Amino acid sequence: MTAVEETAVEEQAAPLLEVESVDVVLGRGWRAAQVLSDVSLKVWPGQIIGLVGETGSGKTTLARTVVGLADPRHGRVLFNGVPISELRGRARRAERRQGHVQLIFQDPLRSLDPDLTVAEIVGEPLRIRGERDPARIRPRVLAALEQVGLDATAADRTPGQISGGQRQRVSIARALAAEPRLLICDEPVSALDASTRNHVLRLLDELRGSLGLPIVVISHDLSSLAGIADRIVVLYRGRIVEDGPVGQVFTAPRHPYTALLMASAPSVRHDRPFTLGQLRRAEGDPAPPEGPGACVFAARCPFAVAACAAQPPLQTIGDQWSVACHRHQEWAPLARAR
Amino acid sequence: MKRQETGSAAGRPRGHSVLASPSARIAVGILAVIAFLTIFGAMLAPQNPLAINAGQLFKGPSAQHLLGTDYLGRDVLSRLMAGTRLSVLTALEAVGIGLVLGTVPGIATVFLGRWFDFAANRVADALMTLPSIFFAVAVTAALGNGLVQAMVPVGILLAPGFFRVTRAATLEHARAQYVEAATLLGASKAHIIRVHVLRKVLPNIAVTTASMTAAALLAVSFLTFLGIGVQPPAPTWGGILSSDLAYLSQAPWAPFIPGLLIAVTVGALNALADAFRDRGSAGTLVLLEPVTEPEGVVDEQRSPAVA
Amino acid sequence: MSNDRQPLPEELLRLDDLHVSVHDGAATAVRGVSLSVRAGEIVGLVGESGSGKTLTCRAALGVLPAGCAVQGGTLSFAGRDLTALSRRGWERVHGSQMGAVFQDPASYLNPSITVGHQLAEVLRVKQGVPRRAARRRAAQLCAAVGLRDPERVLDQIPAELSGGMLQRVMIAIAISCEPRLLVADEPTTALDVTIQAEVLELIQRLRDERGLAVLFVSHDLAVVTQLCDRIAVFYAGEIVESGPTREIAERPRHPYTQALLRVASVGDFGRRELEVIPGQPPQVGADITGCRFAARCPVAEPACRAGEVEPVLVGDRHQARCVKAGRRVGELVSR
Repeated sequence: MTAVEETAVEEQAAPLLEVESVDVVLGRGWRAAQVLSDVSLKVWPGQIIGLVGETGSGKTTLARTVVGLADPRHGRVLFNGVPISELRGRARRAERRQGHVQLIFQDPLRSLDPDLTVAEIVGEPLRIRGERDPARIRPRVLAALEQVGLDATAADRTPGQISGGQRQRVSIARALAAEPRLLICDEPVSALDASTRNHVLRLLDELRGSLGLPIVVISHDLSSLAGIADRIVVLYRGRIVEDGPVGQVFTAPRHPYTALLMASAPSVRHDRPFTLGQLRRAEGDPAPPEGPGACVFAARCPFAVAACAAQPPLQTIGDQWSVACHRHQEWAPLARAR
Repeated sequence: MKRQETGSAAGRPRGHSVLASPSARIAVGILAVIAFLTIFGAMLAPQNPLAINAGQLFKGPSAQHLLGTDYLGRDVLSRLMAGTRLSVLTALEAVGIGLVLGTVPGIATVFLGRWFDFAANRVADALMTLPSIFFAVAVTAALGNGLVQAMVPVGILLAPGFFRVTRAATLEHARAQYVEAATLLGASKAHIIRVHVLRKVLPNIAVTTASMTAAALLAVSFLTFLGIGVQPPAPTWGGILSSDLAYLSQAPWAPFIPGLLIAVTVGALNALADAFRDRGSAGTLVLLEPVTEPEGVVDEQRSPAVA
Repeated sequence: MSNDRQPLPEELLRLDDLHVSVHDGAATAVRGVSLSVRAGEIVGLVGESGSGKTLTCRAALGVLPAGCAVQGGTLSFAGRDLTALSRRGWERVHGSQMGAVFQDPASYLNPSITVGHQLAEVLRVKQGVPRRAARRRAAQLCAAVGLRDPERVLDQIPAELSGGMLQRVMIAIAISCEPRLLVADEPTTALDVTIQAEVLELIQRLRDERGLAVLFVSHDLAVVTQLCDRIAVFYAGEIVESGPTREIAERPRHPYTQALLRVASVGDFGRRELEVIPGQPPQVGADITGCRFAARCPVAEPACRAGEVEPVLVGDRHQARCVKAGRRVGELVSR
């Protein structure tokens, strides 16, 4: 079954995770900033979703909102139909102890306690659940380590004694020990060398294959996502601008920002669908509409027209494909003509 | 501050033992002697510290009285040795009180919310404004004159120092990302404190304890010097110093002896505090400063926290 | 092998058999590195961290960190030997002959002074330009590096500018005294990809308009292959392959380069196969006989470990440090 067919079958089932029109504001008082606006997303089992965005896109905040480190001002996050974003205190802790959604942080050097051994780190979810017997914890720790390709010798080392790639694996092993149903990885490979990067991406791919684990991979690097993602979601300044199957989006992006990201990625190849000049505003372009309700991308968009004074909604334009652009059907030929 | 991908296993710096530096070793040596005297001083004193000998007033050092005699003919050395226990134990009592009253709220305040933190800080501020000696005098006036009672206010006044230090250290560690990770796993605050925070703030507490003990010892000496809390004829370092000063004209050398003892002990405690601090906190984030390349691959600066 | 129809442009930076030691001489992190940068050329140094590319670039600038030192070889600029240059000597070189930009622009700027002030300061200090003229030149420089509304930018402090704008300011500072060579150490690594594209275009434009030569260091193979005319691939402290970018990208001769091209994301969105290079690079300064990549090389043979492997000429100004590279050339020639 191809990925597309699988997804079609899954789609009939209810989504595992649903982010419903979420607005997130960070900071208080005059420093408050709206980081996410009206973000909606659904995740089904067995999918790897690449969440792409640059600085200020809100991608990390989205990850943190899903796991409850940030609370939405409007909208909610549902897991298996349960609105987890509305839980507080003891109920929230209990939900977390179940381990359904796990977050892999970007920098394993900071997210692993430097004073604990790998075994203690990976075993922590079990201890938090109340398991006290080391004889029961140890085998499960070793099993998790094996799943990520680390052997038992790493178990008694501290994070400072292993390499960066290994640390990232430990981070993943800890998440696996919690028996998650969904994994969110925030820039899991940004701090790694090219070869180590692929090791870890391969691991994520395997986990999806062997456990059917849906994974959301957040990245600023499109090409590493191309290797493993089934679906790509593009964020720009707190809004989703495109959400579709990876093969189709990369062949013919429907949002000019997606095309701009692809064209900006450095490459040996020179057979890109668009050049940068075609996707950037030039001196002679008409001034874009401004104002609080305007499309978030209008200020940078060479194709902005009067209609773009209203933020376009995320509309479905194909099978599992949605885009937030008033001109999604027209801009491509205009770009080629530039 | 750059991080580095190294293929090799760069171990974190094993904190070298507290005894690494010579000053630390000397300090520990001195304190070991003091500790010994605290326990065995009274038993090992060559003479009875309370024995009055009217014929031997203000004698200088001699074979029988290694440090001479005081204004009542009592052996100075014996009095100092016997007095160690009282002075040191009451100083420790004060420190103990300060430690418990200070560190427990200091750690808890980080986890109990803004209002508790605000209140705790204001209490600490208030306590720090109290003039210590007057407070001690007032308390002993209320509770009765005894050295034990006098150390309670000293302990209370030491607490804000412990509170501040513990709170600062805990804040720093509670913000760590591994604490966030543990929170996401459903950890309770107690678990986080126990597993992630406590062992990292212990070094700070150790440093503070050492320097607070020095302060408490000085406070004991000062209080007994003023005659507060002293039940004569029980010897205490400060009490000895006090009476020596009263008879300065007859025995000008005399105050130096207890004074030196106090100073040396306080100095040793401070040196020990320095040694604890230099050893480095166990929990500070290890920066794998790369072996050679002064610059790493990619920083997490790529995606600042807000995005 | 090559017949030069036109004389090559002037050679600006030249490193000959450079050796750099670290940890106060305990280990040699850079061995036998030779490269040259000619006027108007963009040369890229690419490699993983620990490969020696950054140390090489720092050595070329005379700003090696404490404990590191040049242990052998020579470094010259426009024919002048700089190997044993004093600090004062380097001060005269910095800015007027060589400019530099590094990875994190914010940490190289004073956060409480406006960027205009800092840019003008460089002009005043290094060239004695009077205040008002310095301000005008600063505005011109800002425009030259593509900053829109230069007058406004000059009056802002670093915190008010984005990463991309700050990096442009750093480039402006670097070229303010009109150096002939710009050394850029991972200048775009911390920038968003769309901003990175703009900064890379800027560097190319500066080369085209001013004939500025550039030494560009990066771990990102795609960036280096897109931007640079010539590249040098570093592995374990040595250059394992160097030559024109096109040639190396299309016909890499060293197994490590070949592996790197397969592994690194080179901007291809269609690929789904994720390749890896088995093993780990050697410890910095490790003592290895023979080829330093042999332990991980898929086609290594006993000859590789026998002794020092010298670079072999495999094309026009294209060299590879591999015993097998030469053979391939031999095959070509015999055909």
